[in-house]
Amino acid sequence: MADGDDFYQILGVPRDASQEDIQRAYRKLARTYHPDVNHDPGAEDRFKEASEAYDVLSDPQTRRRYDAFGRDFRQVPEDVDPETWRRARAGPRAGAGAGAGRGGPGGFSFSEDDIDLDDLLGGIFGGRFGGARRGRGPVGPIPGADQEAEIELTVEEAYRGGRRSVTLSSDGTRRSFDVTIPAGVTDGQRIRLAGQGGRGSDGARTGDLYLIVRIAPHPRYRLDGRDLYVELRLAPWEAALGTSAALDTPGGEVKVKVPAGTSSGRRIRLAGRGLPNPRGKAGDLYAEARIMVPARLSRAERRLFEQLAAESDFDPRKQR
Amino acid sequence: MSYVIVRAARLSLEEFAVLSGLHPDLIRRLVALGLIEGHRDAAGALWFSRSELAAVARMQRLRAGFALNYAAIGLVTDLLDRIAVLEAALRAAQRRGR
Repeated sequence: MADGDDFYQILGVPRDASQEDIQRAYRKLARTYHPDVNHDPGAEDRFKEASEAYDVLSDPQTRRRYDAFGRDFRQVPEDVDPETWRRARAGPRAGAGAGAGRGGPGGFSFSEDDIDLDDLLGGIFGGRFGGARRGRGPVGPIPGADQEAEIELTVEEAYRGGRRSVTLSSDGTRRSFDVTIPAGVTDGQRIRLAGQGGRGSDGARTGDLYLIVRIAPHPRYRLDGRDLYVELRLAPWEAALGTSAALDTPGGEVKVKVPAGTSSGRRIRLAGRGLPNPRGKAGDLYAEARIMVPARLSRAERRLFEQLAAESDFDPRKQR
Repeated sequence: MSYVIVRAARLSLEEFAVLSGLHPDLIRRLVALGLIEGHRDAAGALWFSRSELAAVARMQRLRAGFALNYAAIGLVTDLLDRIAVLEAALRAAQRRGR
């Protein structure tokens, strides 16, 4: 909870906003940040802040007391005169309205530690929404909403799996998780962290946090599901005569047998060498042939290529 | 005396009411409105699958957050579900496009 923000700032309205403006601002924020509409882990806190602010500012009487006493207005006895209070708090922050109570010379002294907003509100859903002002009976415990966040993995991490620390930051609060990545996760897959989602009210079940896997683009590897594509660079003579070439893959070096007469674009399949599959067949690895020529030829190479050009009747552009 | 050790795959109306914190009459109404899926057995008793608890919780949150009536909640949950499907398809398409 951002203690420094005042309720008007949270709703984004001026201090002299009309009740209508306040309601409009709150409704807009609620539609944007309601935990069932917005699965971002930070959304729930924004929603609760806005609800808390609206709860106070939507009632003219509590709004007046908030304006007079700031965020701790609930701690101020009903019969305290705002002017006395203001004078008691006089100092560099006088008139700021919001803010935690500082020990003033007049004897009102609260520290922020004394106030537990959750206690005051009785949990945001149970307290605020069950409020008699809505003319409804109290709602029972409501389980928390599920949340979603993205997690970016390298191809190698997706291949190997293993433990990884994930930090989610939203609105200044950071949460860290130690997540076990299953070997062979694919792009778009969701990793469920049970009980790490939105808070429930009145002791109800917490929602789950889903990490959606994004596989970062890789300079050498391309993924399609669990199939892995790797470029295999060949010299013209290797491609023409066939060879056995070493190829780096996420699982280590493999030998690829290149058949004679391989042109660029040919895919050589290595079954089961793609991403592993915890529940079945592993993906395949495809080595894609790409023929490279030396940028500068030595005298001997040039002579040999010229000889080849004179001898050969191969025409790669001839229609077959 | 024997005890069932396995968690029941389906919940009776009473069990569902306790777990969701709602009155059985309200649950019957939600079934009648087509907002939650209930199965009637030969004896006419209502049974629920456990996954409906999450659906009910979402309705509660939406109702509380937006002051919606139950007819509107049906529309909102349907739309949210459709958006979820579309977003998943979009993610899959972006993935293939890369």
